[in-house]
Amino acid sequence: MAQPLVKKDDDHDDELEYSPFMGIEKGAVLQEARVFNDAQVDPRRCSQVITKLLYLLNQGESFTKVEATEVFFSVTKLFQSKDTGLRRMVYLIIKELSPSSDEVIIVTSSLMKDMNSKIDMYRANAIRVLCRIIDGTLLTQIERYLKQAIVDKNPVVSSAALVSGLHLLRTNPEIVKRWSNEVQEGIQSRSALVQFHALALLHQIRQNDRLAVSKLVGSLTRGSVRSPLAQCLLIRYTSQVIRDMANHGQSGERPFYEFLESCLRHKAEMVILEAARAITELDGVTSRELTPAITVLQLFLSSPRPVLRFAAVRTLNKVAMTHPMAVTNCNIDMESLISDQNRSIATLAITTLLKTGNESSVERLMKQITNFMSDIADEFKIVVVEAIRSLCVKFPLKYRSLMTFLSNVLREEGGFEYKRAIVDSIVTIIRDIPDAKESGLLHLCEFIEDCEFTYLSTQILHFLGIEGPNTSDPSKYIRYIYNRVHLENATVRAAAVSTLAKFGFMVESLKPRITILLKRCIYDSDDEVRDRATLFLSVLGGDGTVDTDKETKDFLFGSLEVPLVNLETSLKNYEPSEEAFDVDSVSKEVKSQPLAEKKAQGKKPTGLGAPPAAPASGFDGYEKLLSSIPEFAAFGKLFKSSPPVELTEPETEYAVNVVKHIYDSHVVLQYNCTNTVPEQLLERVNVIVDASEAEEFNEVTSKALNSLPYDKPGQAFVVFKKPAGVPAVGKFSNTLTFVVKEVDPSTGEADADDDGVEDEYQLEDLEVVAGDYMVKVGVSNFRNAWENMDEEDERVDEYGLGQRDSLGEAVNAVTDLLGMQICEGTETIPTNARSHTCLLSGVYIGNVKVLVRAQFGMDSSKDIAMKLTVRAEDVSVADAIHEIVACG
Amino acid sequence: MILAVLFANSVGNVLIERFNGVPAEERLHWRTFLVKLGADNLKGVKNEELLVACHKSVYIVYTMLGDVSIFLVGKDEYDELALAETIYIITAAVKDVCGKPPTERVFLDKYGRICLCLDEIVWNGLLENTDKDRIKRLIRLKPPSEV
Repeated sequence: MAQPLVKKDDDHDDELEYSPFMGIEKGAVLQEARVFNDAQVDPRRCSQVITKLLYLLNQGESFTKVEATEVFFSVTKLFQSKDTGLRRMVYLIIKELSPSSDEVIIVTSSLMKDMNSKIDMYRANAIRVLCRIIDGTLLTQIERYLKQAIVDKNPVVSSAALVSGLHLLRTNPEIVKRWSNEVQEGIQSRSALVQFHALALLHQIRQNDRLAVSKLVGSLTRGSVRSPLAQCLLIRYTSQVIRDMANHGQSGERPFYEFLESCLRHKAEMVILEAARAITELDGVTSRELTPAITVLQLFLSSPRPVLRFAAVRTLNKVAMTHPMAVTNCNIDMESLISDQNRSIATLAITTLLKTGNESSVERLMKQITNFMSDIADEFKIVVVEAIRSLCVKFPLKYRSLMTFLSNVLREEGGFEYKRAIVDSIVTIIRDIPDAKESGLLHLCEFIEDCEFTYLSTQILHFLGIEGPNTSDPSKYIRYIYNRVHLENATVRAAAVSTLAKFGFMVESLKPRITILLKRCIYDSDDEVRDRATLFLSVLGGDGTVDTDKETKDFLFGSLEVPLVNLETSLKNYEPSEEAFDVDSVSKEVKSQPLAEKKAQGKKPTGLGAPPAAPASGFDGYEKLLSSIPEFAAFGKLFKSSPPVELTEPETEYAVNVVKHIYDSHVVLQYNCTNTVPEQLLERVNVIVDASEAEEFNEVTSKALNSLPYDKPGQAFVVFKKPAGVPAVGKFSNTLTFVVKEVDPSTGEADADDDGVEDEYQLEDLEVVAGDYMVKVGVSNFRNAWENMDEEDERVDEYGLGQRDSLGEAVNAVTDLLGMQICEGTETIPTNARSHTCLLSGVYIGNVKVLVRAQFGMDSSKDIAMKLTVRAEDVSVADAIHEIVACG
Repeated sequence: MILAVLFANSVGNVLIERFNGVPAEERLHWRTFLVKLGADNLKGVKNEELLVACHKSVYIVYTMLGDVSIFLVGKDEYDELALAETIYIITAAVKDVCGKPPTERVFLDKYGRICLCLDEIVWNGLLENTDKDRIKRLIRLKPPSEV
């Protein structure tokens, strides 16, 4: 467990060696810091106080603004002292205190003096401190000195300036980029470290210039790089160049491979590993290229240095994912790593072996892993279990030893995630390998005998209910399941009751005995358990409530046909009465939003409304709904469903909206109707559509709604035929017709003798517009997509859009009219903008891709003009778009 | 980037911690994680034997030196190899300052100098100096011997 994170001074009092910082207190140290102001500075004493300040800061202690300012001002006085040890401490504490920008000025003159000092070390340190605390303006003033420092003959000064450059590049890139000549000179330095820092900085400066990086790499791979660190950087930059070249279609022999390969013979281990890693990560690496890299990695597997073993096995682990065969030669070396003291190495070795091992080595491997599992953390164990699952799928014949392994680890101690990983693995194996089923189920049964996780117990019970009855001897599982009823919490007990019932139904010979067991459950202390037991007893007992085996089977094993949200809403609305809740009364429509929720939104606090807009994923829901209606099955693939269009005012008796479903040669109008009058039941609900203003449309069929009780949305459909592939438009007037019956609101039932009264209700008109034939489909890169379309087929025209309040209004009007996807955030228009370009994309009926560039401009009188450029895969569609805009 | 350098004593109390580019709210998590990692794995480990681990996309190299455990956390170019190089320099410098693998007392006695050494080795997450003799001179503001 984690040790307490207390400060050192809270530590054991009885410690023999007492700490020099024992009892240290911020207030006291700040008091002591006053010695910095003494006329005669005592360097030793001051250094001690600075050390204490450092200790406090390193312990996470923070100073208030006032405290920090006070200390900082006092520290600056120490620049008067010539003592070098103290001066070094002063540099450090200033960096640690990181003074605010308004205080920096106090110290800059001293530091600038030091930066030009004859003493090299003053220069180096002053540069580092200045670069830590200054802003852009001051940087411009000292830029000249920094450039000089980069080429200073003292490597420490040079390195200080280069590393400062690396830090400053993040905040002031423009200034640092001006130093490339000096940095370039640094790369030629004889000092290894200067070369390392210069290379890092130069690459950062030029990283976006592919050609420059390529040149840099080209020249350095031929020359000599002094430090191994710089060589590693060079290898990384080389890999990047190789990748870029491959991306840009340069073919032939892989460039720089020879360089990488030569680095495999470098004297520094880190360079060899870096080169090996770079080779293994090459795109489309061949086995010939891979072999030398794998060979050196194999050697490192038996290195005495753990870091090298780790680096090698980590790289091999990655290679095993893409080229498992290439790694098999290293298997023996990796097997010895399973017992490596460093658990990270052992886990990597095992997971690599599990990927590369062959069928004959599985047993041996399992034996080794078993010894190893007891002393690694859960997170490592999960990795191993997952690797074993994939191994088992790969070698199904070896399921016995793998299953034994999993069942053994299942019995050991472990957290929820780990146990879940094991249970998931066993379930996968049972599903994939039929032979493994019986033993796997027994392992799971044994596990639930002593399982502390309710979630896992219920999952396993459910799984047993599905798989158990089909085994050769289902009776052997009953004991384990029934034990749950006695020993577990209510959730598990309820799951056990359901599982028992499944066995009872599926296995005729067990039915009498299961019935006895279920009878014992009807005295359970929990409502749900009792209810389930009672229900299943009546289902199994065949007492007439259930007609056929099929119904029982559907009930026990079938999936719930209604969306849970709808079921929940209906149950909430169900008032306890003599009449039982009827699950058939629950709407199966996925899209309708529950009324209660709509009320909660506060839009219509008193009234009831039609089902609101479909959710974003509505298309799938519509497709499912429509395909379930046999009359519509022959229409082909649904092209588009519009958002619902309201046909009634809010708060009217009957709320109706319509969704336009577009097929290639049909349009289906789906009228979503809601009856908001509790005293009425509507029957034979139909919509009469007058299509006289829609010449190209011919009504082919309609589907009435038999019954529309209060607050249970239903749908009526009217279907029109139109010319295939043609974006026909038109206006439809709608009338709702129905038979209304009075009901008693308390029972919700209509009088049986009431024949009802025919009535009709005028709805608003509906239009099918050109935008209905356009699907919003975005493109990831508009410019590319635009350029890939033939310029020849471009159609351009200009339109006057009249006076508008704002550009945004005009943009919305055009995009709504076209029904296209707005790309690259061009829907956002800066306030007060006088011009704007909007990029749109979509797919037109017939699956024709369309791109539109709409340029808007507004004059002083708020008159808006638009230039519309359209490119489409079919030029007639581009013309059609212009027609839409011209008519709109 | 070297994200963190952390020194702790044998019972897991932090002696020095330096974070670079780690948001303040994540530091406690790292501190706890590293101390736990040390408690789990550093028992009985020989002086300067390196241990290594990955956590998400970062690498951790850690070791024991006398009574003090040292942890380095890095990412991107500071992978396990670069961190191993850095920790090697740090342990060499600490041994040099303390004269031997330090007890906690000795480490605290030389606290100021150790801070200076660290300042020379890792600066804001970048490795700056790698030679212990040079570092020894630099912390006394003496130029490197080759100059």
